[in-house]
Amino acid sequence: MEAFRKEREEREADRAAWEALGLESSKWSGKNLSDPIKAVEDKWLLLPAFLKVKGLVKQHVDSFNYFVDVDLQQILKANNMVSSDVDPRFYIKYTHISVGPPERADPDQGESPERFSVTPHECRLRDTTYSGRIVVNVEYIRGTKKIIRRGIEIGRLPIMLRSNKCVLTGKSEAELARMQECPLDPGGYFVVKGTEKVILVQEQLSKNRIIVETDPSKGVVMASVTSSTHERKSKTYVLTKKGKIYLKHNSVSEDVPICIVLKALGVQSDKEILQLVCGHNEDYREAFAANLEDAARLGVFTQRQALEYMGARVKVNRPRPFGAPGGGMQGPRRPAWEEAMEALATIVLAHVEMEGMDFRPKAVYVAVMVRRVLMAMKDEKLVDDRDYVGNKRLELAGQLLALLFEDLFKKFNQDLKMNIDKVLKKPARTEEYDVLKALTFHAQSEGITQGFVRAISTGNWSLKRFKMDRAGVTHVLSRLSFISALGMMTRITSQFEKTRKVSGPRALQPSQWGMLCPSDTPEGEACGLVKNLALMTHITTDVEEEPIVRVAFMLGVEDINLATGPEIHHPDTFMVNVNGSIVGLTRQPGRFVSSFRKLRRAGRISEFVSVYINHHHKTVHIAADGGRICRPMIIVEKGLPRVTEEHIKLLKRGSVTFDDFLRKGLVEYLDVNEENDSYIALYEREIVPATTHLEIEPFTILGAVAGLIPYPHHNQSPRNTYQCAMGKQAIGAIGYNQFRRIDTLLYVLVYPQQPMVKTRTIELINYDKLPAGQNATVAVMSYSGYDIEDASMINRASLDRGYGRCQVFRKNVTLIRKYPNGTFDRLADAPIDEETGKPPDKYGALQADGIAGVGEQLRPGDVYINKQSPANANDNSFNANILDSSNASIVQYKNTPMTYKSPVGGIVDKVMLTETENDQTLVKVLIRQTRRPELGDKFSSRHGQKGVCGLIINEEDMPFNDQGIKPDVIFNPHGMPSRMTVGKMIELLAGKAGVLKGKLQYGTAFGGSKVEDMSQILIENGFNYAGKDYLTSGLTGEPMEAYVYFGPIYYQKLKHMVMDKMHARARGPRAVLTRQPTEGRSRDGGLRLGEMERDCLIGYGATQLLLERLMISSDAFEINACQECGLLGYNGWCPLCKSSKRVAKLTIPYAAKLLFQELMAMNVVPRLILDDA
Amino acid sequence: MEEPTLRIRELQKDRVDFVMSGVDLAFANSLRRVIMADVATVAIDMVEIEVNTTVLVDEFLSHRLGMIPLTSTNCEEGMRYKRDCPCLGFCRYCAIVYEIDVRCTEGEMNVTSEHLTMIPPDQWDHDEEASAAEDILAKRGKNFGVPAGPATDPDPQRKPISLVRLRKGQALKARCIARKGIAKEHAKWSPCSAVGFEYDPHNKLRHTSYWFETDEKAEWPLSKNAIEEAPPGDVFDFTAVPEQFYFDVETTGSLNPQEVCMRVRLPVPACAWKLTMQCRVWQSCKISLLR
Repeated sequence: MEAFRKEREEREADRAAWEALGLESSKWSGKNLSDPIKAVEDKWLLLPAFLKVKGLVKQHVDSFNYFVDVDLQQILKANNMVSSDVDPRFYIKYTHISVGPPERADPDQGESPERFSVTPHECRLRDTTYSGRIVVNVEYIRGTKKIIRRGIEIGRLPIMLRSNKCVLTGKSEAELARMQECPLDPGGYFVVKGTEKVILVQEQLSKNRIIVETDPSKGVVMASVTSSTHERKSKTYVLTKKGKIYLKHNSVSEDVPICIVLKALGVQSDKEILQLVCGHNEDYREAFAANLEDAARLGVFTQRQALEYMGARVKVNRPRPFGAPGGGMQGPRRPAWEEAMEALATIVLAHVEMEGMDFRPKAVYVAVMVRRVLMAMKDEKLVDDRDYVGNKRLELAGQLLALLFEDLFKKFNQDLKMNIDKVLKKPARTEEYDVLKALTFHAQSEGITQGFVRAISTGNWSLKRFKMDRAGVTHVLSRLSFISALGMMTRITSQFEKTRKVSGPRALQPSQWGMLCPSDTPEGEACGLVKNLALMTHITTDVEEEPIVRVAFMLGVEDINLATGPEIHHPDTFMVNVNGSIVGLTRQPGRFVSSFRKLRRAGRISEFVSVYINHHHKTVHIAADGGRICRPMIIVEKGLPRVTEEHIKLLKRGSVTFDDFLRKGLVEYLDVNEENDSYIALYEREIVPATTHLEIEPFTILGAVAGLIPYPHHNQSPRNTYQCAMGKQAIGAIGYNQFRRIDTLLYVLVYPQQPMVKTRTIELINYDKLPAGQNATVAVMSYSGYDIEDASMINRASLDRGYGRCQVFRKNVTLIRKYPNGTFDRLADAPIDEETGKPPDKYGALQADGIAGVGEQLRPGDVYINKQSPANANDNSFNANILDSSNASIVQYKNTPMTYKSPVGGIVDKVMLTETENDQTLVKVLIRQTRRPELGDKFSSRHGQKGVCGLIINEEDMPFNDQGIKPDVIFNPHGMPSRMTVGKMIELLAGKAGVLKGKLQYGTAFGGSKVEDMSQILIENGFNYAGKDYLTSGLTGEPMEAYVYFGPIYYQKLKHMVMDKMHARARGPRAVLTRQPTEGRSRDGGLRLGEMERDCLIGYGATQLLLERLMISSDAFEINACQECGLLGYNGWCPLCKSSKRVAKLTIPYAAKLLFQELMAMNVVPRLILDDA
Repeated sequence: MEEPTLRIRELQKDRVDFVMSGVDLAFANSLRRVIMADVATVAIDMVEIEVNTTVLVDEFLSHRLGMIPLTSTNCEEGMRYKRDCPCLGFCRYCAIVYEIDVRCTEGEMNVTSEHLTMIPPDQWDHDEEASAAEDILAKRGKNFGVPAGPATDPDPQRKPISLVRLRKGQALKARCIARKGIAKEHAKWSPCSAVGFEYDPHNKLRHTSYWFETDEKAEWPLSKNAIEEAPPGDVFDFTAVPEQFYFDVETTGSLNPQEVCMRVRLPVPACAWKLTMQCRVWQSCKISLLR
C-alpha cells in the first residue's frame, strides 16, 4: 500500500514537472545565441513511444476503427430511408448502426453468456470467419402506428484483429496466451474462412485536387480534377487544344470552349471572365483572349445561350438514380438548358459545394483551373508531378470496407424495398404488414455477410456504383516468418499498370523521404510500384472539415464568393483551400499559417490537419482528408529544439507518453506537403535560425524490413533491396503461438538466435524475440573449389550440433461429409490382411478411430486418415432406408484414404477434429519433418548475399585459429568486391567485438557501434584490429599463407530447400490425351528436351538421338497406314479400301496420330504417302 | 631429430595445454585431427519416447539428449561398437540404457541431464550367453556412462545440462540407448569442444605472411606461446622445420583431457614412432600407438 502511494506521488510529481517544463525552457537562462546546441541524448526513445500509439500496422487498425465508429454511421445516414412506391405513408428508417464484438455464428448449447465468445485462433483452426454482428435500430410504420425496434441484425462484419471490436485489444500477455494468441502479433488483418487475409494499402492519386500535366509531343496542357463525393465520382479536365482552352468531361460528348462553360456558370461578361481567369496579368490576358473570341463566334453571349449550347451536348442516358419514383421508365426529356444546368450542378466538379443554384463557387473553381493551365503554358516548371508523394493518397482497409458496405447496404435496401412493394401491392391483406419480418428474413439470406466474406476471401472488389472492379485487393498473410507477416502489413500497392513502360512511378521520389522505405521494394515486374511504409509513418483518417473552415474564417480569411477576379489574383492575395476546395482569400498567408499551426499545436485542431503555403500558386492549403502520409517531427523554435533532456528523462521514467509530447506542442505530425514547406534539420548541429523542425531519428527513413540490416548505410543500395526480399524468406520463429497453429505450410527454425549485431529497429519490432537466423562463425576464404558462384562450405559438426536445423509442418485437411441423400463419409480402422492376419504395413500409423496417432512416424505411402465414402454419394435420390441406422449396412462404401506423399518420412504432429459452421466434420492432420541442412540448401546473410551450401566439411578438416575455433561457414571472398557489401564486413567486426566483450553490438543505420571502438575491443582481447586472424589449415596443420577475415555473421536459412525441389525420373506417368510424359515435379513428370536443345541436336545431326528423345522415349505409337488411300487403318485392315493388301505398320508419335484424327474430325484428310527407305 | 617429447604446461579437469616436440608437422597435425574426430566415446544414439507432452517435439528432444556428454573413461576397451557386437539389438557390452521419466506437478521445472537414470543391464539384457565377455565391463572406468555434470564433478558450481523446461502437467518419459562411436560419424561423439594448435609463434619459418598496414609487430599481438621460443634473429634459416607444437585441448566432459590424448589411435606403423612423454603431472604416460 505504501509503495503504491509512493508510486502515485512520484507520478504526480513527474506530471507536475512535465507541466512546468515548457514554461522554464522559454527563458534564455544565460545561454548565448552562438552556443552550440546540445544534442538531445536518447531522443530516439520517442520512437518506441510513438510506436505504442501509431505506426507500422496501427494505420490499418485506425482506419478500421474509423470505419466502424464514424463512417458506418455516415453511410447509414446517407441511406437511412426505405419507402414504398405503393404506399406513400409507409417507410422504414434506420436510426442507428453499430457493430458488436466478434461472435460465434454457431453458439454452444446452453445459456452461458460465454457461448458466443470466440477467439481469432478458434476461427483459424475451425475455418470460420472472425466477425461481429452489424446491428441497427429501426423505426417503421405498421398500419398507422410508428414502431421503434432496436438491435436488429442485418449481417456480420469481419473484424480486424487488434481493432476496437477485437477481443484481443487491451489484453495482457497472460490473457493473450490463454487465447492462444501471440502478444507480438501485429494484428491488422482479418480471419475469413480460417485464412488470414490482409487488405493491402492502395496508393492512388489524391482526389479533389487540381493536377496540371503536359504532353510535350502534342503541346497539350491539361488540368484535371477527380471529384469524389459520397454520391459521385467524376473526372473533369480543362485542356488546351490548338492554343485554345476547353472543358472536357465524361458527361459532355464533345469538348466545350471554356468561355461557354464560364458563361453557363453565370459569368456572362467577357471582362468578368478575363478578370476571373487572369486578373491584371497581361501575359495571361493575351494567351486567353482567343478563347473569348471563340464564344462570340459560336454566338454564345448569355448564360441561357451557353446552357443551350452545352445542353445539346450533354449525354442524357444517365442511369436513373436509385429509389426515384417512376419504376424504371425514362422521364420525359427536359429542355436542353435544364439538362446542362443539372449536369453542371451535380456531375461536373461534383466536389465543389454550391448553395442552392448559385454557380459562383464552380465558376471560380473553373477559372482557377484555367489559370493553372495558363501558368503552365507560360512556365513549364509549374506543371505538377503526379509521382510526388504529396499528390498521393493511400486507401486503407477501412475505406475499402466502407465502399463495400455502402454497396451491400444499398443492395440490401433495394431488395427490401422490392419485397415491401410486392407485399403492399396485394390489395387485401389478412393482417397488418410488419416489415420487421421482411428485414430479418433478408438479414438471414446473408447478403451483407456473404458480400464481405466473398470480397475479402477472393480479393475482388467489384462495385458497380463506383465503376470499381479491382482484383487482388486482399492477400493471404504470409506467415513464413515474423518479418514476412510484418512486412506485408506495411506494404503499399499501386494502381498503376505494371506493363506500362514509364519509369516515373517506379523511380525513387525525393518526397518519399522518411515516409516510404527507399530500400524495400520487390525486384522485377512490381519494382517501385509496390512500396513499404517507413518506421515512423502514419496514415491519416478523415477529419471533419466544417470546424476547420470556421477556424479559417476566424483567422481572417475572406469568403471567396464575395471576391472578384482582380481581388483573387492580386499579387498579395493568397487563396485558401480546404481539402482542395477554395474557401477564401487572405493577404497575410504567413501570419495565417503560423496562427493556424499554433492552434494545431495547442490541440484545438486535430494534429493530423496539415497547412502549408504554395508560393508558386499563391495558395494556402489546408488538408484534413484521410489517406495522407505523415510522420512526427520535433518542433524547433528560435533555433532550439523544443524537446529537451528533461522531457526525455520523464519519458524514460514512463510518466509521459507520446501523446503528451503532441499535446504540449513539442512534436507534431507533418504530411508530405507541409514537410516540403518546412526547414528540417537532421541533427541538432545543423540547426540554423530558419530551421523549423528536427528529425527524431535518421534511421526511421527505413522501413521495418530494411531496419533489420546492420550498417545498411555502408552497403551498395541494391544489396539492401535484395535483403528486404530475402528477409521475408528466412526461416525462423513465426510467433509465440507457432506450435498451436495449423498452417498449410509452416517453417520453423529449431534454434533461432537473436543477431549479435542488432539495430534499434530490431528491438522496436521485436525481431530479437522472434528471430529468423543464427550467428555463424564465418571465415572469409576460399576452400575446396566447391565454393564458386556463391556457394559456401558448412562445418559438419555445426550441423550435427543443430546449426540451420529446421522443422517443416504441412497441413492436410479432409471433411467427413454428410451427403444430401442421407449418406455420410466414415472413418474406418485398419483392414486386416487375410494372409497374415495383421493390418498391412501402410496402415501402421492408424489408431482405432481411423486417424493416425500423434507422434507416429509416417513413411511414404502410409495412410493417415482412413476415410471411406459412400459409393452413391452423388446420387441425390433420397433413400429413407439409409437413414435408418439398422440398415446402414446396405450402403456400399469405397476407400478414399489420405496417404502420405512426400518422398521423406514425416511424423504426425497434431490431429484436430472439429465441426465447421455448416455442421460438417473437419479433420486436420499436421505432419512434421525435421531437416538438417544438406547440399544445395539456400542461406543468406543480412546483406543480400545469398548462396547455397556447396560442401559439408568435416570439422577436423576445417581451418582453425590458435584457440581452436573453427568456422561454421566458409564464405568465398569473391562475393565481396563486386557487391560492395561493406556493411557485412563491419557486421563481422562488430560481431566479433561483441563476442569478445560479451555484449551485443548495434549496427543501426546512420549510427551504430563505431568501427574504431570495435577495433579497440579486438586489440584489448589480443586480436588483430582489422578482424583478420591467423588460421591454420585443418588438412596439413600448416598456417594459411594469408590472414583470414574471421568472425560471426548473422545467417538466415531461406525456405528454398533441395528436398522440396529435387526431381528426376526414368519412367513414370504419362498424360492421358497425348501419351507423353507428364510435366512438373508434382506429377512426377519427365525432364523436357526443349526446343533449343532440339535445335542443337538437329544442328549436330544426331538423328538417332533425336528420334529416341522425341519419339521412342516419349510417345511412340504403332499405326497401320494404308498405302493405297493414305489413311489410318486398324489391325492390318484399311476400312476405307476394305482390304488388307497394302497396309503397312509404322511408328509415329502418338501426338501425330492424334493430330491426324483431329484433322479428320474437322473434315481435313491427312494422307500418309509412304516410301520405302 | 631428437626424441619425441611431450611437456604438459597446464592441466585442468577439462583442458590440457601441452607442448610437443621431436615430431614433424604431419604427425602433430594428425594427432590433432585424431583427437577431434577419432576418439571413441559414448553418446545417446537412440531414444524411444513413450510420453512427451513437453513443448519440444520428439526429434528436438532426441537431438538434445544425444548431445549430452557421457563419461566414457576407457571406452576404447570397455565397450564394443555396435557393428562389432554379435548381439542382435543391443546388449550390455555395446550399449548403455537410460531412462528419463519426469513429470511436473507444480509450477515449473527444468529437466536436466540429472534426470537421466542409468538402468542396470540386468534389467534389460537377458541374453547373456550370446555375447558374454565379462572382462570388457571390468575395463570401464569410474562413473562410466554417467552424464558429465555435478555427479562426476566435485565442483559445487557445476550445473547439469538443461534439456527442457516443463510446466505443470507436462511429462516426459523415454528410454535412451547410448552407444560407442566416434566424431567422424556425429559430433556428439567428439570428446573435445576445441583443439588449439600452433607452432612457430614468431613466424620464423615464414609459413604465413602477416597482413599489416604500418607495423607488423604492433598490429599482430604475439600469442602466449611466443615465450617458449627465442625471438627471430636477423638471418632467415630456410632449412628450419617446425619443431615445437603447442596444443590446447578443451574437452566436453566425456573424457578427461589426459585420456583424450592417450586414447589416440594413430593410423601409422607402430615401429615408426616411439613416444615417451615427460610429464610434470603424471610420471610416465604413454600414448598407445596401436596397429
